[in-house]
Amino acid sequence: MDLKSIKDAFDRVANKQKLSYSKTHEIVQMLSQEIDKALSILQEASPFDHRSILADVKKMFTEISPVNQLEAAEKELNVALTKYPKVLEKQLNTDISKAYRNNVEFDTHIVNQIIANFFYRQGMFDIGDCFVAETGESECSTRKSFKEMYQILEAMKGRDLEPALNWAVSNSDKLKQVRSDLELKLRSLHFLEIAEGKNSQEAINYARKHIAVFADSLPETQKLVCSLLWNKNLVKSPYSEFLSPALWDNAVKELTRQYCNLLGESSESPLSITITAGTQTLPVLLKYINVMANKKLDLQNMEQLPVAVALPKEYQFHSVFVCPVSKEQSSDDNPPMMMSCGHVLCKQTINRMSKNGSKSSFKCPYCPTDVDISRCRQLHF
Amino acid sequence: MEIDPVTNGNADAVMTESAPTITPSPPVPSSRLSQLTESLKLEHQLLRVPFEHYRKTIRANHRCFEKEVSSVVSTVGDLADNDWSKDVTVSRLTSLVSRLQGLKRKLEEGSNVENLQAQRCRARIDHLDSADVKNITEWNNTKLKRILVDYMLRMSYFETASKLSESTNISDLVDIDIFREAKKVIDALKNRDVASALAWCAENKTRLKKSKSKFEFQLRLQEFIELVRADTAESYKQAILYARKHLAPWGATHMNELQHVVATLAFKSTTECTKYKILFEIRQWDVLVHQFKQEFCKLYGMTMEPLLNIYLQAGLSALKTPYGFEEGCTKEDPLSQESFRKLARPLPYSKQDHSKLVCYISKEPMDTDNPPQVLPNGYVYSTKALKEMAEKNGGNITCPRTGFVCNYTDLVKAYVS
Ligand SMILES: [Zn+2]
Repeated sequence: MDLKSIKDAFDRVANKQKLSYSKTHEIVQMLSQEIDKALSILQEASPFDHRSILADVKKMFTEISPVNQLEAAEKELNVALTKYPKVLEKQLNTDISKAYRNNVEFDTHIVNQIIANFFYRQGMFDIGDCFVAETGESECSTRKSFKEMYQILEAMKGRDLEPALNWAVSNSDKLKQVRSDLELKLRSLHFLEIAEGKNSQEAINYARKHIAVFADSLPETQKLVCSLLWNKNLVKSPYSEFLSPALWDNAVKELTRQYCNLLGESSESPLSITITAGTQTLPVLLKYINVMANKKLDLQNMEQLPVAVALPKEYQFHSVFVCPVSKEQSSDDNPPMMMSCGHVLCKQTINRMSKNGSKSSFKCPYCPTDVDISRCRQLHF
Repeated sequence: MEIDPVTNGNADAVMTESAPTITPSPPVPSSRLSQLTESLKLEHQLLRVPFEHYRKTIRANHRCFEKEVSSVVSTVGDLADNDWSKDVTVSRLTSLVSRLQGLKRKLEEGSNVENLQAQRCRARIDHLDSADVKNITEWNNTKLKRILVDYMLRMSYFETASKLSESTNISDLVDIDIFREAKKVIDALKNRDVASALAWCAENKTRLKKSKSKFEFQLRLQEFIELVRADTAESYKQAILYARKHLAPWGATHMNELQHVVATLAFKSTTECTKYKILFEIRQWDVLVHQFKQEFCKLYGMTMEPLLNIYLQAGLSALKTPYGFEEGCTKEDPLSQESFRKLARPLPYSKQDHSKLVCYISKEPMDTDNPPQVLPNGYVYSTKALKEMAEKNGGNITCPRTGFVCNYTDLVKAYVS
């Protein structure tokens, strides 16, 4: 895409518009000057001269031919006005709804609920409330929980860890289950705050009471306590990392993640994940549709997208195995199988290579190993 | 720096972790750059709509100025050709002067409006220009808000649309005023009033003619039907006059429809003949609303569907896997949410052309950096996650899905290409 050609084409439009405007202005100015002139002559003239004066004005107007001049200016502007949309059509995808499946209608209530939920989880409570009221949807069940989450995060912004710690402590069993180190992260921050502001004794007491329990994470707790030796000169210590605002950012991120997870929600908004995925998918689909323009492409009824779309790896939520030989996706009927050499194929491919078990061994297509069929194992990713 | 139990255990790890701050950031991979460019190509509507608005204003202003100027010229001609007294001539000319004065004012105002609209067109081009691999997350956030405002405008949720665009500073990037214009017509049609729709057709006459639109004809037919529906001697008379004046001109191009509708004169609105009954259905007004929306979108270069629906469909399909519908699917997958599942159900599944493995335990990708390891029971997890588990449990591994226990030394590496 060439954004510059779009800019240039628009500049042309804007220039011609200015030109056309000043032309019109000039003409109007000229007409009113002529009439003014005629009027002032008329004031002086004898009662019967006015006809010849009027005839002069008329003649003058015919010579100027203002309407023709206006038309000429418009014509030039029109050329630019017609060109610009053509440039847009050339540089951009004119109709992205070509990739849209018309026979699928979304339920407005579901879409509205998704949107309301999006506003609440982004902390946009005013907008969310306004949306719910305007659409007449029933109140969002997650509003209260997200409100609590944002209160905790707001407090953390003001370096108040109390609400965050309270939440982490009351959910500590569940956090342990998902192996989250949120509580340690929060305790560490708390410890550093105490160590920075007050005397070391208090920090040591805090560490004994709250940090010693994290014996699993010995390296961090050691470093934390050791940082006390540099006390107020942490900048020059080996532990300057403890001053980094990233520690707070990470704690905020982890809290958001865990809070959403316990709510049964993803840590990133599902709506923005889906729209971002859509942004990456549409160009691929549109390109495919364009290439296939002459072939019958039943986009409306296909079971699977006709092309693969490479989404970023953070949007890869499940393991997908595609047999490198048959290029087919594995399924319950056709599971992935590992051969003795460690290479993995799908079951149907292995069956084919062993002539449906009539051969007891075959050569791996990826290495020189002779594969013993009885030693092929099904994998679960 | 993050406190990570695996990497921060010794000073070496800290050293290597802080290294990237010295080395220059790696060049942006070209694939991400081209992906960005491709996604910007989806923004036709963003640039087209304000331009169509701008063009419409320019044309309307120009027509108005031209009319005024030619009327001034012809008034002067008139005065010159007729034998008026001096007093009359002076007073006529004086009124022409004030008329031209008014025209100058209009010119000024018109130019101000046009400049504002040109600015809006520019703001959008600049917005596309500002997209960069570095700020793409933020840019995409803005994009989502734009898409949501577009959805709300099409659904007539004007209050939230304005609030959202003001609070997120995207007023220049959304088309609230244009949709307000449409709303007037839609509301009137819902009240069974075609006047503003007809006025809209007149305003956009040239464009509608060019696209061979028959929307105005359909409005006229509906007005005719309403006269027949009234079912009085007077209204029948009016209906015939109306048909002569407003329907007959369409005869050349739409004779069949014209005959069909005019024949209702012979049937009453209570007719049981299905072919005619349908013309009297109140639902016909909804059809007109729908048709207006289509004409309106076409005129401004918008998609017929809300952008949100188009993006949702594509995104849901790309994310749709059979695993998303399974019990215990990770909450990070949008398709684990019931609402997203419902929307995705009728859509096609994604297609994969090569394997992508994700560790069940850590949710991290399993690739050459973190290769998959197979337990004796055939379950596969990432090396990193298994190593961490073994370190904490004296070399023992417990399969989280089956409870199977084995030793770290029992693992075999799998090669998945
Ligand atoms: Zn092999």
